[in-house]
Amino acid sequence: MPEWPKDPKYIGKSTPRVDGAKKVSGAAKYAHDVQPEGCLYGVVLRSRWAAAKITSIDLAPALKVRGVKAAILVREGSRQVRYYGDELAAVAATSKRAALDALRAIKVVAEPQPHVVKEHLAARPDAPRVFAETPNTGAGRERKQGDPDKGFAEADVVVEGLYATQVEIHQPMETHGGVASFKDGELTAWHSTQGISGVRDGLSGALELPQNKVRVLGEFMGGGFGSKFSAGVEGLLAARLSQAAGAPVRLMLTRFDESLAVGNRPSTFQKIRVGARADGTLTAFSMESYGCAGYAAGGPSAGGSTNSGFPAPYIYRVPNFRTRHTEVSIHAGPAAAFRAPGCPPASFGIESILDELAVKLGIDPVELRIKNDPMELRQRQYRMAAERFGWAAKYRKPGSSSGPVKTGVGCAGSAWRVPGGGTQAEIEVSPDGSVEIRCGTQDLGTGTHTVIAVVAAELLGLTPADIQVRIADSRFPPSGASGGSMTVTSVTPAVFDVCTKAIEELMRTSGLADVRGPQWRAACRKLGVSPLVLQGRWIDGLSAAGTGGVQMAEVEVDTETGFVRVKRVTCVQDAGLLVNELTARSQANGGIMMGIGYALYENRVMDSTSGVMLNPNFETYKLPGIADVPEIDVAFMDLLERRVMGIGEPVTIPTASAIANAVANAIGARVTSLPITPDKVLAALGKVPGAARDNPHDAWMSLFATQPA
Amino acid sequence: MKPIERSSGGAGAPAHVVSRRAFLRGLGTAAVTAAATSTAAVAAEMEKAGGEATVGPGEVPLEFVLNGKPVRTAAEPRETLLDVLRARFGLTGAKEGCDRGTCGACTVLLDGKPIYACMRLALEVAGASIETIEGQSLAGGLSPVQAAFVKHDALQCGFCTPGFVMTTTALLRANPTPTEAEVRRACSGHLCRCGSQPHIIRAALAAAGVATTTTSTADSLRHDHA
Amino acid sequence: MKPFTYQRALSVDTAVAESSERCRLLAGGIDLLGELKEGLVEADKVVAVTRIPGLDTIEKKSAGWTIGANVTVATIAAHADLARAFPGLAAAARDVASPQIRHVSTVAGNLLQHSRCWYYRHRDVTCMKKGGDVCYAREGEHKYHALFTGGYCISPLVSSLAVALTVLDASVVVRGRGGERRLTMAELYAPAWDDHAVHHAIVPGEMLTAIEIPLAARRSAFVQASEKASFDWALVSCAVSLELEGGVVRQARIALGAVSPVPYRDERAEKALVGTRLDETTADAAAALLLEKAEPLPHNAYKVPIARALIKRALLAAATPG
Repeated sequence: MPEWPKDPKYIGKSTPRVDGAKKVSGAAKYAHDVQPEGCLYGVVLRSRWAAAKITSIDLAPALKVRGVKAAILVREGSRQVRYYGDELAAVAATSKRAALDALRAIKVVAEPQPHVVKEHLAARPDAPRVFAETPNTGAGRERKQGDPDKGFAEADVVVEGLYATQVEIHQPMETHGGVASFKDGELTAWHSTQGISGVRDGLSGALELPQNKVRVLGEFMGGGFGSKFSAGVEGLLAARLSQAAGAPVRLMLTRFDESLAVGNRPSTFQKIRVGARADGTLTAFSMESYGCAGYAAGGPSAGGSTNSGFPAPYIYRVPNFRTRHTEVSIHAGPAAAFRAPGCPPASFGIESILDELAVKLGIDPVELRIKNDPMELRQRQYRMAAERFGWAAKYRKPGSSSGPVKTGVGCAGSAWRVPGGGTQAEIEVSPDGSVEIRCGTQDLGTGTHTVIAVVAAELLGLTPADIQVRIADSRFPPSGASGGSMTVTSVTPAVFDVCTKAIEELMRTSGLADVRGPQWRAACRKLGVSPLVLQGRWIDGLSAAGTGGVQMAEVEVDTETGFVRVKRVTCVQDAGLLVNELTARSQANGGIMMGIGYALYENRVMDSTSGVMLNPNFETYKLPGIADVPEIDVAFMDLLERRVMGIGEPVTIPTASAIANAVANAIGARVTSLPITPDKVLAALGKVPGAARDNPHDAWMSLFATQPA
Repeated sequence: MKPIERSSGGAGAPAHVVSRRAFLRGLGTAAVTAAATSTAAVAAEMEKAGGEATVGPGEVPLEFVLNGKPVRTAAEPRETLLDVLRARFGLTGAKEGCDRGTCGACTVLLDGKPIYACMRLALEVAGASIETIEGQSLAGGLSPVQAAFVKHDALQCGFCTPGFVMTTTALLRANPTPTEAEVRRACSGHLCRCGSQPHIIRAALAAAGVATTTTSTADSLRHDHA
Repeated sequence: MKPFTYQRALSVDTAVAESSERCRLLAGGIDLLGELKEGLVEADKVVAVTRIPGLDTIEKKSAGWTIGANVTVATIAAHADLARAFPGLAAAARDVASPQIRHVSTVAGNLLQHSRCWYYRHRDVTCMKKGGDVCYAREGEHKYHALFTGGYCISPLVSSLAVALTVLDASVVVRGRGGERRLTMAELYAPAWDDHAVHHAIVPGEMLTAIEIPLAARRSAFVQASEKASFDWALVSCAVSLELEGGVVRQARIALGAVSPVPYRDERAEKALVGTRLDETTADAAAALLLEKAEPLPHNAYKVPIARALIKRALLAAATPG
């Protein structure tokens, strides 16, 4: 079995990212920034209707606009539109102004049809159908373990609740899209993507080009969070426009486009029942749930295929359970994989009801979790986190802090289990000692460049600055997409392998007993005139899956204005063998910040009458800002023997649940749907005349009323 | 479209006022974009633009100071400063994240103050000083703010970073030793979806030499197993 | 944005002569560019007013303060003398949007900005405010909308400075082709109360040139509640001013923002405070009176308790020395 060095110099330490200077100086070129000579500006025409039959689209007026070089349809002939924002046509012109002028000139004739954009209305039998042939609600999937009826019968206490999570949109700062350039029958695409190989395969398939005639590049990309695995409709349109115009075309979506059409985290509605013994031991769990992934799970532009399903009873050990999940379709943009798909909604439901149970039983929420969590590591994490956070002193009876501004605390746990693999890498060692590592992976901002440099430097006895890292080119040895927190577990073993081979080969050619570190240059000189080029691949035993983490949150709630401020988040995360602590810490902070957005601000708002999304912008689709940052305390359990693990996803899972529990603890009433906005806080406190105290909204109950349980 | 040559000294105090003579002198060597027409026509347009003449809707000559150097280009009245910087000067450090003045990725300094380049008509900056991220690096090296951002990993994907760097730079010029609250307030017009804000606060304070914040603490509990 | 011509006005006369339905005046540009980019308004011409000499000063004269139309929100927020005289105005300015916006947006632009109703701002929705015949918000998503209105449209006024200036008895100077007129803040917004088609009383061919604040021995305060800690619109804002004599209220002004198409006042609430000493009870009684005529809808009823809390907080803050 291969083993990581026991006394590392760089691994597990903090190395500033090797591409940091480029990013802070504006020198890093994202797909957004690539401007080949003669590059045209591409834009997409979208449906103004949530549901319509498109009978004709006249591109001729667009082609007459000065500067327009190409205008194409997404699809020929009449077609059905199933959401506001669906792609209809695209234009390429010499300037942004000309392209937008041309968009306005296109004439679309459509027969608008009835639409439904709210989950509870879509579930009604008389609702307009998203697909004429099938009802909007699916058949439902059931899972069962043990004997739930017996489990509930054995329970001393049973609690019930209805919990709902909103549609969350990825909103990477760089929108989807890229630059496509055809030259001599070959396509080069600079694409903002989490998976250059997948984009290459997607473009070659759709355009019927041999895979070796398509090259995809993406050294810098501005965030994806699961939404950027494929070329997408926009990538294909850029390529087709480039073909049609005979010039490179840059097609990056606008924020408006980004909000509508390229993926989101599905909404969920969870009716949960939990039974427990007086000592807190869970005996039974049942859940009826609905979820909505827009017009269809994983649409063509969404990339990853996913649906609204989620694990239940998530991480907890319950001997008897029954779940039934039903998909609901509405006329809205499609879902896509989103950072830890399914897990944040799953966590919100179960962690909320566990706190309800803890209150009912008079048991400390941390103790209740330790009792029912099957993972010994996470049990220890709860104790560590409680000490760092000061849980024992801070946890009080719900709503018991004095004054109008109340404080409260909450906790939640997470798990993630996706193994790495399937990566190849190449090393080129030059006679002057310089080293280049090439790998067809990509860097989402997680620090892939740096992680490769750290591992290679460690093994070769050099410094990270000595390693030239080249990634995000589909001509490099293949690696998988960066999703599922799999990049570091997939890439580092391949780098380990290729470095080990280089050392062996150099030892052979140089005759030196050790070629690393001080001997490196001398050994390389013996190569003569030809560089040493070797390939390696992912090997077993260096990376692993199965991480766990817990988070605790402290909030302050103004019970007169409903305003929630997160004061502090403590995160204890099993990080396996940390490769680079500095960038891992950034990821943990980022997961927590994203969790704060999910907990308190973010929500896609659809309008029933018009069928449009009302907040396709950052003004009313609200992301957390720097003023919303709490004190964040991250503790990594850096366990050499647990091997390399990815943490990008688990760190965002429990944040919103911990915050929701902290709010409930602060005010003594529970906001049962996300985001926890002032209107809901005040309603939960019974301060809003005419509003129901128990949200989710009454309307959502009708979801459960329309279908037999 | 070729980028204009880099400014050599963008880190000092901004050039707030540039005399017309100095401006025209500078134009002798400054790159002129492909859009510029004949010298005589440009001069005539400039005179008109100096008064109350109505110009456009076609391209209009435009002069301003970019990263310390006078530049001349032409822009339609409807073009934003961001579009002009990116398309006509090839300066792609300022990003279009929202095009509505909400994300801060396009932040540049106008006479030393951070503004959203996406919400400023280009003609509105005539005669003014504009600083972009491209003018921040000192003779190939990083400015103290940039260096602090790298050291403290105040970035992940990096797309929002040029904007944060510009705002932080302006903050530290005006207030060399800000408090954490002042950093938060100064940076409140920026979004970062990767969630690097805790490290941005840390980097901004470190660049100012102010004791590091408690906003983000971390421990690595090596070999902590039973 | 469709193509338009551009003129840099160097005098108010030029700006006023050019201003029309199809020729828009451009100051900081945040509001106008947003509307142009979304295609909500079209312009054949844009006249920039920010280089008109003399409109960017803050002056204290014997009768009161004059703030030029082109003074930026950032300048107001940072003006120490103004902040001492009118802490409520300074507080409101500090909470406007973000630094990048405050650096360019002018006081006139802030006062005259258009609706932020998400139906109004939507490129593909034609609500009654844009010439359609429906208020989508009323039957739809109205959590950010008005509690009080004289019409059917429930788009609220969002300018915080309008609310802060209202309680200072400020007026605006408006230049038209025929001369100058002065409007109180109430008059500036009065037409919007029941006419969904307008945002304020200024018509094409006019330009707001200055704000005048009378000198008075007033204390003022401004508070707002939002969903986020910064760079977020107010759900409700509240400005108050008080004239106190020996701790007793001689005159009071209370105005609410984001709950009505105008800065919302009710004289009954203000009069009820006269002759009293401010405490929790008297403040709450005034709040109750001011909110008495609220007509909450299903999603915006929560604004009532928020407003009640903010009125109390603003009153007590203004009454507390320091």
